[in-house]
This record gives sequence, C-alpha cells and structure tokens, in this order.
Amino acid sequence: MSTATNPLGDLSAASGRALKEVFSKQLKLQILQSPFKDALSTVEGKLLHSAVSINGEKISGTVLLQVPELLAQRVTEIMLGSKGDAEEIRDVTGELCNMIAGRVKAELHASGFPATLGTPTVSVGQRIALQLRGEAQLSSTDWSVEGDQAGDFNLQVQIRIIS
Amino acid sequence: MNPKILSIDDSKTIRMLLKRLFTPFVCELFEAGDGQEGLEVVNREKPDLIILDYNMPVMDGVTMLRQMRENPEFKRLPVIMLTAEASPEIIGTVARLGVRDYVTKPFDSDQLLDKVIRVVNLERRPEA
Repeated sequence: MSTATNPLGDLSAASGRALKEVFSKQLKLQILQSPFKDALSTVEGKLLHSAVSINGEKISGTVLLQVPELLAQRVTEIMLGSKGDAEEIRDVTGELCNMIAGRVKAELHASGFPATLGTPTVSVGQRIALQLRGEAQLSSTDWSVEGDQAGDFNLQVQIRIIS
Repeated sequence: MNPKILSIDDSKTIRMLLKRLFTPFVCELFEAGDGQEGLEVVNREKPDLIILDYNMPVMDGVTMLRQMRENPEFKRLPVIMLTAEASPEIIGTVARLGVRDYVTKPFDSDQLLDKVIRVVNLERRPEA
C-alpha cells in the first residue's frame, strides 16, 4: 500500500484507529490485526459486505467492511440484545460501517478535506476487493475480535484526492 | 404524564438500540426514519425530547430542526443530536438551532442516558 500524498498519512493506521474506536466504544470488544495474509480466504460461510461512500469537493472515497455472518450475528446480539433476524443483522452491519466511515471522515475533515457520507449499502456474498483507480490510495487490513472464534474480518478504505 | 421521547434515525439498528436503552424506564418512545416523518410525529405527539440523527434520506436532521423551530410551540423543544457527523460546521449550526447536546457515533449508551436524564425525568419501571 502506498501512503504518498494521502491526507490521512498512513491510511492503514487511520482506518485501524477508526475501527478500534467503533468496536471498543460501541461493542465493548477489543480487536487485533490479523497476523495472516488474506485471512478472509479461510472464513467459512457467507460474508456480509457493507460500503459507505465519502464525497467532498476535494476528495472521494469508499469504506468497505466485510464480516463473516457468524461475527455479524454476534455483533447484532451485542448491539440489540437479541439475535436479530436477517434484516436486522444486515442493518447492524451497515450501521457499523457507517460509524467507521464517520470516524474516517472526521480525520479527513481535520486534515482540510471536508466531505459527506453516503447511505450504507449491504450485500451478502464472497470476498470482494476495492480496485485502485487513478491516484487513489487503498488500505486493506484483516482483523479479529480478541478471544472470539467468529472469524476474521476485513476493512478496506479507498481515498482519492480530486485535483 | 410519562415523558415522551422521539428517536429520529434512518438506521433501524439505532432506533432498536435506543428502544432497548429506554425500556427499563417509564416513558413513551416514538420513532421516525427521516426528518419528514419526524416532523409529523413531533406535530402529532409533542414529545419532551428528540434524539436526532443528521445524515438521513428524504430530509436531514438540520433541515428538520430548522423547520421545527419555525413553529413557536417547538422553539425550545429539547434536542440531542446522535450522529456519525462530527464536523465543526454542523455542530455550530445545530448549536445555533438550540440543540442541547451532541453525541457522536460510536457512542457509549450510559453516557447518552446521562445526557437524556439531564433533560427529562426518567424513573425506572417497577420490577415485575
């Protein structure tokens, strides 16, 4: 991953800060960066993908969160206090991505790149990867919840400065 | 009269989370999924407190707040913002529109509850 000309400096570090804050504050869960490369490839079952766009006059980007269904179910139970149906699990995954995107957006704003967030979109399927376009910067990091076997999850953040 | 609390957020997750937070207390909780629907509930139910998101489809929180404040009846209706939006411009705008407090997502439920209790009198429901 290149970090040149990125308003957030080290994009992986910035996205990791956002992710850790959301998990610790909202879910009371501690997360660790996965030591394995492409950790999601070992996840069994479906993945839930949630994406939120970030758009401003000088910047555009996407935050993409991919979590195994089992982890999404755990997170739903923590947030709602009940197991939740399929729609509620999707909505929780979308809200989680919205919160992460909000923290990334706040860092962009502090760096002089104000932007607004799009509405979260959620889908189910296999692992997907954001593609680098033009001068975009891309960070992709894999994480796991400390002490939990629900499977690793992935956060991708793509940021592009509009010249 | 039990306090009436209105949650306006397009996220069903947040509305359910708030419902869970207020269930142990004697109060009436109302929900709306966007600012337009929120205005309708405000006019109909006349809540004692609104917990308001910013980024919503149809009508965002600031637009809703501006329209609501145009009605003298709701000029001082307490509002707590609960939003992923944390830009100083938006915080300044809603402060000028008389918002009582501002909570950014992710949020600690207990801290939000503390802020709510400063605005409305919440009593715990008697144990069944």
